[in-house]
Amino acid sequence: MKTRTTLLLSVLSCFSALGANAQETLFQLLPSKGTGIEFRNEIDETEKLNVLSYEYFYNGGGVAVGDINNDGLDDLFFTANMGPNKLYLNLGNLRFRDITKDASPGLAGRKDGWKTGVTMADVNGDGLLDIYICYSGNGTDEQRKNELFVNQGNLKFVESAKSYGLDIVSYSTQAAFFDYDNDGDLDMFQLNHSTKKIDNLELAKFRNETDELAGNKLMENRDGHFVDVSQKAGIRQYPLTFGLGLAITDINKDGWQDIYVTNDYNEPDCMYVNNRDGTFTEDAKNCFRHMSQFSMGVDIADFNNDGLPDVYTLDMLPEDNRRQKLLQLQENYESFELMVSQDLHNQYMRNMLQLNNGDGTFSEIAQAAGVSNTDWSWTPLFADFDNDGYKDLFVTNGYMRDYTNKDFLKYRGDYKVKKAIDREPVQLMDLVKAMPVTLLSGYIYRNNGDLTFTNVKKEWGINKQGLSNGAVYADLDNDGDLDLVVNNLNDRASVFKNTSRERSQSPWMAIRLKYKDKNLHGVGAKVYVYTKSGEQYQEVNPNRGYLSCVSTTVHFGLGRNKAADSVKIVWPDNTIHVMNDAGVNQVLTVEYKGGQPKESVPAAKPAMFKLASGVLDYRHEDFMENDFKRQLLMLFMYSKAGPVIAKGDVNRDGLEDMFISGDKSKTCMLYLQQANGKFAPVKGPYLGDENIAITSAALFFDANGDGFADLYVGKGGYTVIEPESAPLQDELFLNDGKGNLVLTKEHLPVVTGGSKSCIVAGDYDNDGDLDLFVGSRVIPGNYPLSPRSYLLQNDGKGKFTAVTSPMDNVGMVTDAKFADLNKDGKIDLLLCGEFMPVMVFENTGNGFADKTTGYFDTVDKGLWFGLSLADLDGDGNDDIIAGNLGQNSQLQFSAKEPAELYYGDFDNNGSIDPFFNFYIQGVSYPFVSRDELNEQMYAMRRRFTTYKDYADATINKILLPEEMANAKKLAATENRSVCYLRKGGKFVKQVLPLPAQFSVVSRIIPADYDKDGKTDLLLLGNHLDNRLKIGSIDANYGCLLKGDGQGGFTYVRQDVSGLKIVGDVKSALTVDAAGKKYLVVGISNQPLQVYEEP
Amino acid sequence: MKKLLILLCCVLPGFFARAAEEPAPSYLELRPVIFSLTMIMMHDVVNPPAASRYYAYCMAGAYEIVAQNDPSVTGLGKFVTSYPAYTIGKQPGTYDFRVAAVYCVLETGKLMIPSGLQLQEEQAKFLKTLRKNGVAQKSIEAAVKVAEGMAAHIVKWSKTDNYFKLSALRRYRPLKGEGNWYPTPPAYMEAVEPNWATVRPMIIDSCSQFKPAPPVNFSKDSTSEFYRLAREVYEVSVKPDQEKLNIAGFWDCNPFAVTTSGHMSIGFKKMSPGGHWMLITGIACKDAKLSVEKSVVAHLMVGLTLMDAFISCWDEKFRSNRIRPETYINRYIDPRWQPLLQTPPFPEYTSGHSVISTASAEVLTYLFGDNFRYTDDAEVMFELAPRTFTSFRAAAAEAAVSRLYGGIHFRDAIENGAATGRELGQFIVEKLRGSGVAGVW
Repeated sequence: MKTRTTLLLSVLSCFSALGANAQETLFQLLPSKGTGIEFRNEIDETEKLNVLSYEYFYNGGGVAVGDINNDGLDDLFFTANMGPNKLYLNLGNLRFRDITKDASPGLAGRKDGWKTGVTMADVNGDGLLDIYICYSGNGTDEQRKNELFVNQGNLKFVESAKSYGLDIVSYSTQAAFFDYDNDGDLDMFQLNHSTKKIDNLELAKFRNETDELAGNKLMENRDGHFVDVSQKAGIRQYPLTFGLGLAITDINKDGWQDIYVTNDYNEPDCMYVNNRDGTFTEDAKNCFRHMSQFSMGVDIADFNNDGLPDVYTLDMLPEDNRRQKLLQLQENYESFELMVSQDLHNQYMRNMLQLNNGDGTFSEIAQAAGVSNTDWSWTPLFADFDNDGYKDLFVTNGYMRDYTNKDFLKYRGDYKVKKAIDREPVQLMDLVKAMPVTLLSGYIYRNNGDLTFTNVKKEWGINKQGLSNGAVYADLDNDGDLDLVVNNLNDRASVFKNTSRERSQSPWMAIRLKYKDKNLHGVGAKVYVYTKSGEQYQEVNPNRGYLSCVSTTVHFGLGRNKAADSVKIVWPDNTIHVMNDAGVNQVLTVEYKGGQPKESVPAAKPAMFKLASGVLDYRHEDFMENDFKRQLLMLFMYSKAGPVIAKGDVNRDGLEDMFISGDKSKTCMLYLQQANGKFAPVKGPYLGDENIAITSAALFFDANGDGFADLYVGKGGYTVIEPESAPLQDELFLNDGKGNLVLTKEHLPVVTGGSKSCIVAGDYDNDGDLDLFVGSRVIPGNYPLSPRSYLLQNDGKGKFTAVTSPMDNVGMVTDAKFADLNKDGKIDLLLCGEFMPVMVFENTGNGFADKTTGYFDTVDKGLWFGLSLADLDGDGNDDIIAGNLGQNSQLQFSAKEPAELYYGDFDNNGSIDPFFNFYIQGVSYPFVSRDELNEQMYAMRRRFTTYKDYADATINKILLPEEMANAKKLAATENRSVCYLRKGGKFVKQVLPLPAQFSVVSRIIPADYDKDGKTDLLLLGNHLDNRLKIGSIDANYGCLLKGDGQGGFTYVRQDVSGLKIVGDVKSALTVDAAGKKYLVVGISNQPLQVYEEP
Repeated sequence: MKKLLILLCCVLPGFFARAAEEPAPSYLELRPVIFSLTMIMMHDVVNPPAASRYYAYCMAGAYEIVAQNDPSVTGLGKFVTSYPAYTIGKQPGTYDFRVAAVYCVLETGKLMIPSGLQLQEEQAKFLKTLRKNGVAQKSIEAAVKVAEGMAAHIVKWSKTDNYFKLSALRRYRPLKGEGNWYPTPPAYMEAVEPNWATVRPMIIDSCSQFKPAPPVNFSKDSTSEFYRLAREVYEVSVKPDQEKLNIAGFWDCNPFAVTTSGHMSIGFKKMSPGGHWMLITGIACKDAKLSVEKSVVAHLMVGLTLMDAFISCWDEKFRSNRIRPETYINRYIDPRWQPLLQTPPFPEYTSGHSVISTASAEVLTYLFGDNFRYTDDAEVMFELAPRTFTSFRAAAAEAAVSRLYGGIHFRDAIENGAATGRELGQFIVEKLRGSGVAGVW
């Protein structure tokens, strides 16, 4: 008896321990016994019906949530691809009843059909939610007909697709019902997908074709009958698109609904902007700098509470190193280039979070925000799960087979040969089944309220392993927090109860709209909630995520606020309804009353910077060289330095003139400023060309002290140029006193040690003339060896001698400045570079000495791209502003987890083998893929014979001990752009705000732009020519930081600053012309951009 | 005379008394050994030029072992000038040099090919068979030692041929001209071995010694000669007759044809063109009932020829950088057209298969005689029925034209490629003849 009690007690304590543990997570996975939801999306692979016969075989099913009987409880509908769909009536208290059979005999779906997306919408405008089910699969047209189940009001549904004109036979993914023409009824967008991937990239011809089955459709509701208006409306219908995700939003907030469509494979996503006349303009390329390549689900919501909808698309990039190495990643420059040339834009395989800048542009910041890698993902949903006033993010993921496994690609083909040798038939299913299966857990991120997210899947209890596809959130038990419902492949659907209300007192409010006409649920309405913490914004657009549809009730958490100050509803007819005393912790039903004022958009304040046209006509054309063909393991290309700009008054007319470097079709040119403030090119003598070496730096300065500006032009390049060869020799052009710049051969020593990055002038030896420091970035063909930089001493007549200095081989220098930092009357040198700290070389009177550690308490090695000096805190001392790689790339490193570059000619074949490593999930792994490694060092082909062998290898496994012993090492410990404030003789680091970290910062122009007497910062940069696995870094459109005079800065929104600088900024300066101040920006492969400064 | 020879052989170290022309016993046949090299290379997806190099070096050691034991066989150094002399050390006790030669093929492959270690299994199997056939353990051990010494020497020599410097050279950047090669669907793979011409050849003087006639000029004009060439490729594919399909399939020899289905990609593999000719050589040796010694000679000669033929052809490919039919036809004739065979990832001109097949056929004809009738069943493992040929030259001609039927080459690349291959093959034959390598067995 005693033993029994003990046993019982221990069992009990076990239970309670479990209970306690489970209690700790925000979400609780409810057992199906309790909920009554037994639904499973079971798929059965056969030799006839499998992923080879229909490629979207593992894409899963959807969930729709909505109150079908208007009892105040949200009901659920699940689609199953092969098995029966299920409709569950919400009985309250998280209990549900399967009413599928009673509701309609056909609601379970056609037995031989392949069901995909589902939508609940009031299609006929009677106030009752109807159910629209999409079909796809490799069956017949008849088997693929979509179905509309019209709600009869008594929990019965009648299939009526045909009579509404909605019996569409396309390969359908999902449908959305919304009012695109603002006529008061719901129209429909049908998202479809192609079934035949066209492998060649001669796409122009296909774009003229219409594919009724693959192309998307826009269906206009004309008195209850839906009519295909796709062609007229400008919807793409060609056979190339594989539509997987659909979201409706008013992206530009003009009162008209816009459409976002994601496309799998090569075709880029579409952003259809409503032209307000029944037509749409596809505008993705203007909005987005790059997009997800294999885009899947999409959500559009305002995640940063600035009132603007942001776009988040999902892709397939895994978070962990192992799966990144095992699965295929983009490494093919030729196919990428071909795609770009075929108008497919820049697409990369990762999730993209497009932050709406409010000026028609978006900054893609998924990597900085921490939400770029969620593996093979389906549903993204933004919603405030913890009621703190910020929308969190839920992501489902998982694919039944590791399709893109590289061992499978490369080695599984052996199977066919072996079978043939054994004279056995090849079963395709054997191949399919040989693909590894990896179960994943979804992701849930807490919004940190500062543009970033924290992965809290463990803390919030979203760690069930499986394959999750469609999903919705809804407050199923009306307790004031959003629960989650997930459709899983080959597993029971998951219902996660949110316990936020049980755990915190954060108030909430939910708003249910009653609109008019045939849109009683108010689809397309906007809801704003204003509190002390700011504004929150949501649209009533239930189609989001993947194959699924959320409720039309919108939910807000209020965080630390007791109540909302006010709530504003903008109805679909653009009239507004404001409530100043909306209650909390309840569902508010707001009814439309006519006669309200229209939403008035306050006239935008004039932007600070204004685009100026006609000032200087120049367009840079890229060389199309690919430095990775010479060294495939570098991170960036080095031969893309143009256009280079320099300014100086060449003819001494008091007006600043400009030198602009050439490109493949033009030589370097001088542009003289005219009296009217415009710049005219001078057809003059040779100023350098780009035949062999490129122009990589330039400076006007008075070399010979005659009062006229002379010109120094630095040379560079990487792919086709040899170090210590004549083309790398810089050129000095002396002014003949009449404004002519004349090349002189005798005045410069040999300076061919590297590709130049910067030239600065200063009288370091205090002899009254200007000496030079010429920084070098890289030795062509020898990355990452330190190139020779040059200290050039002037003899007073403009003849220079290279003087030995500690800067000679200091590293891969990117920028330098002369300044008298210790105020001893002698200028010191400040410089920065790649895998280097910002360094201070003090002028000792007979040379320079490295005093970096004396000025900085911590030495921050970064991938510094540029630096600037200005007094930021008004203490009379120069502070440093240094531009870095930024935080918005896969390359994350810090002092705690430094990036390391090991290099050496390990195979003694005359080329350096550089292996870059950085931390992923706490371990430092090499960036190099096995394919790249095998290309770099043939010996590696024997060291790792499979991708699996290589997947977990760290640098110590890649290099043998004797190779490691000979390896040299560079490191980087800081990737953020910062300023260093001069305090008590030291430079103290202050990190710039997050928008400054969205991209590479290479040009920094400090000035008091808002005329408040405090120094502001203009940060320019981006970097487009990177390893494909890094991709284009381009989220900076001209980042203006307003200074507080103490060294602190706040970001100025793009629609306020007026800056819309698109592309890879290679040079920037300000010039005075005709009484105005212009910002002149040189961008690779684009026209010069000129802004009038405030 | 025969007696004298036997006597002579007996006093040579490591030689068993036996008839000089004794056909190779089945356990010493080269064909299965070459086959296992081929399987490893297929597994590793070794590209065709690199495969030819492995075959050449793997045979070189075996050949030298034979040459140092059989005075009728000319030393490798006589016709391969880069070969550094190496004398097999004295072994305690006697051994069968033929065993050493065969083992040396596997040993060299083991040391050179990426997944070569997998050949250890084949080596063990081979030794087991020897024991089963009554070869004494001591003699086996001695032969293995000889083979290992020779293989190590060959590997050292191979390291001087610039192969390992390839990874230090600038990779290929597709030229921008309309008529230039660009990577092809579905995988758009980078050009294979763009710098292969820098690898040291075996017998020919330089990569550019046999420059083919220039290709027909590119033109989009539908009345042009070039358009006519493309049209011919297109027409063949539009109404293919079964025999042409068979021929194209038989000579496909694509080591890695990527098949995609949605996101799924899998590479289906075949042996490289060089591998196919090495196996043809094995078939001929068996049909002619050749001794191990002569089999080794024949395999080496074909190996060397393949290596030089690929070097010569690759020199031209990256000189003319010509567009593939698939790209041209998709652009100017039919955007949906796909060739019967998957387009290999390198420029079109000249057809590699035409060059190397014709060159190999010349050398085989010298060794075995013309009108050597044989049945080629090397492709059975790829579910391709055996084909019978009346001569090596007839087979080579079929291999060449198969590229047209397969939709991956224009006719001038085939004809001019075959002409180059013939010249190169004949040059090698003359070189062999001059070095005392006798032909027509």
